Amino acid sequence: MLTLHGVSKTFRLGKESVRALDGIDLGVGAGEFLTVIGSNGAGKTTLLNVIAGTCWPDSGRIAVAGQDVTAWPAYRRARFIGRVFQDPRQGTAPHLTVAENLALAAQKGPRTLRWALGRARLAFFRRELAVLGMDLEKRLNERAAYLSGGERQALAVLMATFTRPKVLLLDEHTAALDPAHAERVLEITDQLVRAHHITSLMVTHRMDHALRVGSRLVMMHKGRVLLDLGAAAKANLGVEDLVGLFRKVGVVDDELLLTDAKACAAQ
Amino acid sequence: MALFLAAVEQGLIWGLAALGVYLSFRVLNFPDLSVDGTFPLGAAVTATLISRGWDPFGALALAAAAGMAGGLWTAALSTRFRIQGLLAGVLTMIMLYSLNLRVMGRPNLPLLGRPSAFRTLSHLTGLPGDWAKVLGAGLLGLGCAALLIALFRTELGLALRASGDNPTTAQAYGLSPAAQLTWGLALSNGLVALSGGLAAQYLGFADIGMGIGTIVSSLAAVIIGEILFRPRGVGWGLLAALGGSVVYQGAIRVALRYGSRLGFTAADMRLLTALVVLAALVAPAWRLRKEG
Ligand SMILES: Nc1ncnc2c1ncn2[C@@H]1O[C@H](COP(=O)(O)OP(=O)(O)OP(=O)(O)O)[C@@H](O)[C@H]1O
Ligand SMILES: [Mg+2]
Repeated sequence: MLTLHGVSKTFRLGKESVRALDGIDLGVGAGEFLTVIGSNGAGKTTLLNVIAGTCWPDSGRIAVAGQDVTAWPAYRRARFIGRVFQDPRQGTAPHLTVAENLALAAQKGPRTLRWALGRARLAFFRRELAVLGMDLEKRLNERAAYLSGGERQALAVLMATFTRPKVLLLDEHTAALDPAHAERVLEITDQLVRAHHITSLMVTHRMDHALRVGSRLVMMHKGRVLLDLGAAAKANLGVEDLVGLFRKVGVVDDELLLTDAKACAAQ
Repeated sequence: MALFLAAVEQGLIWGLAALGVYLSFRVLNFPDLSVDGTFPLGAAVTATLISRGWDPFGALALAAAAGMAGGLWTAALSTRFRIQGLLAGVLTMIMLYSLNLRVMGRPNLPLLGRPSAFRTLSHLTGLPGDWAKVLGAGLLGLGCAALLIALFRTELGLALRASGDNPTTAQAYGLSPAAQLTWGLALSNGLVALSGGLAAQYLGFADIGMGIGTIVSSLAAVIIGEILFRPRGVGWGLLAALGGSVVYQGAIRVALRYGSRLGFTAADMRLLTALVVLAALVAPAWRLRKEG
């Protein structure tokens, strides 16, 4: 469903240069749910950006559903690709209402002069919102800005999935939420992804989350994929084993501590 | 009464420009200064065509089309050549100054005794001239506002609003920010030029200097509307801009008539308008600071 071939990206800041992606080869089959972990600066966000088209690789090719999209601008890829950002404010338009945000997401192709909020559509939105169990179906006419971070992120996950994208990209989308909301949004994500068999990549710093959901686990370090575990291998793994694996592949301790600290802070 | 009528007529006519500015500043989040050039462009095109024997309504349509072209140009400067928004507008405005002179062939073009949309309306309805002006201005002002309100409720209009509100989200849902800005600015400047064209027919002349300060007076109308009517949502926001424009024109009329006793002259109007806008821009920040 998604293939990356030799994708590299180097950022240059004056004399310094950072190789954020170092010849990534990755194939993700239809319906696979990848969790992606790695220390800060490993290149996880850059990987998602390159797939979404908000950042151009220096070399390599990207294909979605057999179609080479390397040269496509982000808005064109968006027809196939759903995305939820770490910052809840990025995934929704604050001054549009809940219903209007959903309407924006409901029609990813060319827009027409049809009413954005037709009766049939509103009924559909209510049904979909009810699945979240957050009573958002009663707040269709409220502006997204007035929702809590968790509610807004749940709305963003719904928006990103309900057009059934071929690929869904989630970048630490529960990191900015309080523990209860983080759990709820993770649950919702897992539920929607599995219900609709959406091929997904979820970046997270929470090792327990990376193990709990998904059918495959990928560890990145310094722009490379260091570890790629299938469902079976992943099922037998605990958080401790994962930390051990981190050490074994040469992630130095202080880098790891950073991720650990972040995970603890989140818990 | 005459003062009140004048305020309503002019408020609605210049209110079309306020609708355009509301669209660029509030909906698209783009500070478009090209309106100081597209307003007189609309006037110049209308006056030139009418003086060549065109029908006044056809002249208005072409004026709006010319304004849209101006908006496209500003959008192109901003999206293709990556020129900063404010600068793109200023460049268009300056270029249009020369272009407007070319269009008219001279700095001032009188339309005395020429047909106008208002006169046609007066003939058609049998209304006296003054009331025909109110009717014409009202039809066009409210009509355009109604069309915009309807547009904002369609998928196309929603795309425009979303891309002004949050470009990242809009892009993630298949919208090209450049494309949205392009047709949004075309629409905005089309309205502004329509306003200019109607103003020329109302005043009976087009003048090269009549665009100076369009942005400030339109912004004043938008802000006054927001303060007085506290609109919720874009639909009410548009109507508030029209209402704000009427209030603003009324205030200007009053100031012109009675201000002379305080020593104000017509020459001071722009300073006063700018001060009103300044106060409205500073007040919210000041209030926030006071509240803590
Ligand atoms: N726009 C940019 N300009 C310059 N350098 C960048 C840019 N984006 C990312 N980088 C650099 O590329 C490297 C990879 O960054 P990236 O954001 O992909 O890491 P990450 O794995 O998402 O990290 P984190 O866990 O902290 O989110 C980092 O060293 C970062 O500083
Ligand atoms: Mg990141």
